[in-house]
Amino acid sequence: MSGGPTYYAVSAIGRDRPGIVAAISRVLLDVDGNIEDSQMSILRGHFAVMLIVAVPESKRSELQSGLEAVRAELGLEAMAVNEVEQLDRGEEPTHVLSVYGADHPGIVHTVSEALADRGANITDVQTKLSGAGESPVYVMLIEIAVSGEVEQLREALAAVGEEAGLDVSLRELGAEAL
Amino acid sequence: MAVREILLYPDRRLKEVCAPAQPPQLESVGADLVDTMGSIGHCSGIAAPQLGELVRVVAVDVSEHPKAESSNGLLVLGNPRVVEAEGSEVGREGCLSLPDLTANVRRATRIVVEHTAGEVRCEGFEARCVLHEIDHLDGVLFLDRVESLVDDVFRRRSYGEEPEPQGR
Repeated sequence: MSGGPTYYAVSAIGRDRPGIVAAISRVLLDVDGNIEDSQMSILRGHFAVMLIVAVPESKRSELQSGLEAVRAELGLEAMAVNEVEQLDRGEEPTHVLSVYGADHPGIVHTVSEALADRGANITDVQTKLSGAGESPVYVMLIEIAVSGEVEQLREALAAVGEEAGLDVSLRELGAEAL
Repeated sequence: MAVREILLYPDRRLKEVCAPAQPPQLESVGADLVDTMGSIGHCSGIAAPQLGELVRVVAVDVSEHPKAESSNGLLVLGNPRVVEAEGSEVGREGCLSLPDLTANVRRATRIVVEHTAGEVRCEGFEARCVLHEIDHLDGVLFLDRVESLVDDVFRRRSYGEEPEPQGR
């Protein structure tokens, strides 16, 4: 057996309050763990944490018991620790897709299914519900890695947008649009 | 001449490509744009489709705006077309038709625009406003120009409360 670290996916969510990141990172430091990639953000008042951490194999049980203690102490709604395979960073996004329209159920699914059907890999999704009262506007930005025909994808997305009453625009990432 | 109601997204007219403006429309729509813009305190620019008029006319006036380092005064541009653009800068924009949001948008910093009455050169904040309004004539909103909701798009608390964005 090699002496290298074991990789874990740690995910947690709880009502937002000061100290969640500090408590989780304290446990990771105590077990000589290293946070390799992370995303943490407030979603509608809940603080969501996703981490990939490298921890020495000998500290496995300490990691799990330490994080469970944090969950109980801070009253978090969920805490999961799962061993994962060590992987490369994954695909880099090539395009960004803006999708917006009057809010209705199924926007995320309709668009993501169209992308999946054409082999476009989603690398990031952000959504926001904007606008008050009677006409809320749903805004979604999706980063995707496109390996095939961009024009075919653009046409397919335009058709999906038309059918679902959404405004869709696909741009190359980082390209200057002046 | 009249102060008109501003269309709000998702009104479909905001996503249309506008037709070239003919002289009578240029005059009447231009006057309504100026009146409507003048009735809104924080407004630096407005485009005909925001009034439901699908013709290529915009009005911009940044002369009172603190961010404007240079200004051509009141501009009413018929059939405007960007013929030169250089420079690139990210700046915060708002839109009267998307009143709850502001966003960081990358735009050219120096432009030359041809229009029915001649040619105008704009820089900095004025160039940003003119480009934002010309986008409206092609059904393009700032949401079509941002790359990240987390980094670049912000909920506006209310008009007048936030000093940075300018309502357009």
